[in-house]
Amino acid sequence: MSLSALRWPPFVSPTLGRHLAMALGAAVFLLLVSSQIGAYDDYNLAAIALFAIATAGLTVLTGVNGQLSLGHGALMAIGAYTTSLLLRGRELPLMLVLLASVTTAALIGAVFGVAAARLRGPYLAGATLALALGLPQIPTRYKGVFGGEEGLTVSLPAPPNWLGVDFPRERWLAWIAIAAALATMVLLANVLQSSVGRRFKAVRDHEAAAALCGIDVAQTQVQAFVLSSGCAGLAGSLFAYWSGVTAPGGFSIPLSLQLLSAVVIGGLGTLAGAVWGSIVLVLLPTFTGGMASNLNLPSSVGNNLPLAIYGAVLVLAMLVFPYGIHGGLGRLLGLVRARWGQTSTNHKGVVDWDDPAPGG
Amino acid sequence: MLEIVGLTVAYGPVIALQDVSMSIPHGSITAVLGANGAGKTTLVRTISGLVRPRTGSVRLDHTEISRLAPEEIARLGIAHVPEGRGVLAELTVEENLRLGGLWRKDPTDRRRALAEAYELFAPLAGRRHLPASTLSGGERQMLSIARALVARPRVLLLDEPSLGLAGRVLGQIMARIKHLVRERGLTVLLIEQNARSALSIADEAVVLSLGRVAAADRARRLAGEEGLRHAYLGF
Amino acid sequence: MGRFVVLTLNGLTEGAIYAAMALALVMIWRATRVVNFAQGAMAMFTTYLALFALERGAPYWAAFIVALLCGLLLGAVVERVLVRPVESAPPLNVVILTLGVLLVLEALAPMLFGGQIRSFPAAFSIVGMRVGSLAIPFSPFDLFTLGSVLGLMVILLLLFQKTDLGLRMRAAAFNAEVSRLLGIRVGRMLTLGWALASMVGALAGVLIAPSLLLYPTYMDQVLVFGFTGAILGGLDSPPGAVVGGLAIGFALSYVGGYFGSDLETVGALVILVAVLMIRPRGLFAWQSQRQV
Repeated sequence: MSLSALRWPPFVSPTLGRHLAMALGAAVFLLLVSSQIGAYDDYNLAAIALFAIATAGLTVLTGVNGQLSLGHGALMAIGAYTTSLLLRGRELPLMLVLLASVTTAALIGAVFGVAAARLRGPYLAGATLALALGLPQIPTRYKGVFGGEEGLTVSLPAPPNWLGVDFPRERWLAWIAIAAALATMVLLANVLQSSVGRRFKAVRDHEAAAALCGIDVAQTQVQAFVLSSGCAGLAGSLFAYWSGVTAPGGFSIPLSLQLLSAVVIGGLGTLAGAVWGSIVLVLLPTFTGGMASNLNLPSSVGNNLPLAIYGAVLVLAMLVFPYGIHGGLGRLLGLVRARWGQTSTNHKGVVDWDDPAPGG
Repeated sequence: MLEIVGLTVAYGPVIALQDVSMSIPHGSITAVLGANGAGKTTLVRTISGLVRPRTGSVRLDHTEISRLAPEEIARLGIAHVPEGRGVLAELTVEENLRLGGLWRKDPTDRRRALAEAYELFAPLAGRRHLPASTLSGGERQMLSIARALVARPRVLLLDEPSLGLAGRVLGQIMARIKHLVRERGLTVLLIEQNARSALSIADEAVVLSLGRVAAADRARRLAGEEGLRHAYLGF
Repeated sequence: MGRFVVLTLNGLTEGAIYAAMALALVMIWRATRVVNFAQGAMAMFTTYLALFALERGAPYWAAFIVALLCGLLLGAVVERVLVRPVESAPPLNVVILTLGVLLVLEALAPMLFGGQIRSFPAAFSIVGMRVGSLAIPFSPFDLFTLGSVLGLMVILLLLFQKTDLGLRMRAAAFNAEVSRLLGIRVGRMLTLGWALASMVGALAGVLIAPSLLLYPTYMDQVLVFGFTGAILGGLDSPPGAVVGGLAIGFALSYVGGYFGSDLETVGALVILVAVLMIRPRGLFAWQSQRQV
C-alpha cells in the first residue's frame, strides 16, 4: 500500500492541491472576463457554466462508468422544480436552495439507479429515455403543486449589497454558476483520481473482471448514478434561476439528448470534454440563430436552420472527430509536438495503433 | 497454385509474420507447423483476407489476392475453416451447411454438395433441423469442415481441425480430404499444433518460428530430421 | 360497448404501429448493433414525401408506395453513407450520429414542405364499423392498419426464414467475420437490412399520420414508444419486438383510459422499469448474457 493511500481518505486524491490551484486561476480569469462583457454575454456565460455542471456529471456516468443515460434532462428537472417549489412565495438563502436541489436529485437518482442497476447499454438507455418522457408529465398532471404547463416562476438572485446597487443581476448569476461549476469540477476531478474513480472505470472497462477483483459492480453503478444526479440537480437549480420559469416544456427529451451529444462532441470521458461540449451546446445555437436572422431567409428556412446546422455538426463531428473536440485537440497537439521534434505522448482515447484492418 | 511471397504482417508494433514465402502446389497437402504464437493462424487469416499484410503478396494461380475483401477471396474458391468458433450457433445445422455454398451459382450442384456432406458427416444428418448451438464441440468442428467442403473449394485452409475431434473421426475426415486432394486436385493448407499427426498425412511441411519460416521441405523428410523435431516440433 | 373493449381495440391499433416501429429498431439492432434513433424522423420524412406526391395529384396507393420505396432508399443511404464509416468508432458515436440525422431531417422537413401542421388522408373510412345494430369503435382503416402491419411482418418472416437471401442476412447479422469467409457480401446485407427496417418504419409513419396529423416531430413519440416496446421484448428478438410493441399499445390505452391521458407515459415508464427489473434484457431474451 502506498503512503498516499494511507494518508488520504479514498475520495480525496493527492492531486487536490493542483486542482484547487487550477480552479482558482480559472475563477479569477472568468470573473475578470464576466466584468468586461455585457449582460447578454454574462447570461450566456452562466448558461455555459450551468450546462458544464450537467455535462460533467453525465461524463462521469456515461463516459467514465459506461452507463448510457438518455434522461439526464429529467434529473435536471428535479433540481429545477425543487428550487422553484422552495422559492414559491418566499425567499431562502441561495446555498440552502442549491444544496436542497442537489440532495433531492441525488436521492431520486439513487432510487432510479438502484432500479436500473441491472440494465446495460440500450436497455438502460431505454429506461432513462422513458424517465425523460414520463417525468415531465407529472407537473402537467398535478397543476396545483407544480404549476402545470405554464410552470413556476423564479426570479434572478439579488447580488449582495457590497457589490454596489448597480451590479447587474445577470453577472451575479454568472458568478454563482461559475463558482458552482468550478467547485463541481474540482470535486469530480478528485473523485476520478481517487479509488472510487478507478472503480468506476474498472466497471466500465470490464464488468466481469471488476467483479472478480472484488468490486461491487451494482454499488459502484449506483454511486455513479448518485454523483451524476447530484450534478444534474445543481445544474437544474441554476437553470431555474437562469431561465426564470420552470415548466415541463423546458425539460423535454431534446434537452436530454443535447446533454448527451455535448458530452460526446466535447470528448467522451474527460471533464475538459464536458466543458467543450457545454460551450458548443450554448454558443452554437446562438451563433447560428444570429446567422440565420442576418441572411434574410424565408421564415420556414431561417427558423429551422439552427437545428439543421446543429444536427449536421453532430453527424460531421462523429465522422471527422470520433473522439470529440478534446480528442481532436490532443491529436493536433501531438502533431505539433511531432513537428517540433518531440515524441508525442499518445493521447488517451486516441487510438493510433494501426491494427491490420479486416478487408473491405 | 497458392503462392506467398515476402509476407509481413503486424498488429500495431507487434510483428506477427516477417518475410514469409512459400508455395503450395496444386493437389497437395501442406502442413504449417510451429509453437503457439509462431504466426500460423495469422498466416491463414492473411490468406483469406481477414488480416491485411503490411508488405508482400498472396497469389492464387498468379492472381494477386492480398488486397481483396475476404468475401471475394472466398468466392475465388478459398475456403477457410477458422479455429474454434466458426459455427453460427443461432442457425440450424442445415442452414450452416447451406451457407457454405450460397455464393455458387448452380442450385442443383449445391443440393448435391449438401447431400454429399450429410453422407460423409453422418452425425450431422440426424440433426439437420436443430440449432447448431445444440452440437458438441467435435460436432461443431465437423460442421465447420463440412460447410467448407459444400463450397467445393479449390483451396482449403484448415486451422487446427484436430481441436475437439476424436482421433477416429479426425482420421475419417482427413481420409476424405485426402481423397479430394487426389481425385479433384484440392489444395490444402493444414495448420496443426500436433506435428506428428500432421506430418503423417501432409505432402509438404513448413515450420514457422516467431513469425519466420524456420524450415520447409517434404513432410516425410522433415519428420526424419531429429534436431528439427526437437527444436520446433516437440516430439 | 364496454369501456374495456373500446380501450383494448384502441390499444391494439396503436400497438400495431409501435410493434412495427419496434420491429424496425430490432432489425437494425440485430444487423449492426445500432439503436437507430433517426428511425422516427426517417418515417416522418417519407410520409411528407407521400404527402408531396398526393398534392401533385397521385392517388393514395401510389403515395403509399412512394413512402415505402423512399423508406427503403433512405435506410440504405443512411447506412451506407453515414453509419458504415463510424462502425469502428466508440459505440456511443453512432448513437449521436443517428440523433444528428434525426435533427437534420426534422429541420429539413419544414424547410422543404412548410412547418404548419398538415392532415394526411386515410385509405379507408376512420369511422367505427357497425355489426348489425352494434357500433364498434374499430374503423376499416384500423383494420387496414392492423392487416398491413401483420402482412408486412409475415412477408419479412418468410424472407428471413425461407429464402437464401434471408439466410445470408441473418448470418451477416450474427457473425460478420464467419459470413465473409463463406463468401457473403456482408456490407450489402447490412445495407439491405437497414433498407428493409426503414421501410417498416415508413409504413408505420403513413399509417399513424391520419390520427396524429403530420408535423416534423410527430413520429418522436412513436419512436420512443416503439423503442420502449423493443426493449420490453428484448432487442435481439423480432417476435419480442412485436409483443413488446403491442404491450406498450395496450398499456398506454388502459393507463390513459382509466387514469387520465396525462399519465400515459408515466405508466409506460413504470411498466418498463418493472419488467426490466425482473428481466433486464427484455421478456424474450433467451441467450445468456455473455460476460467474458
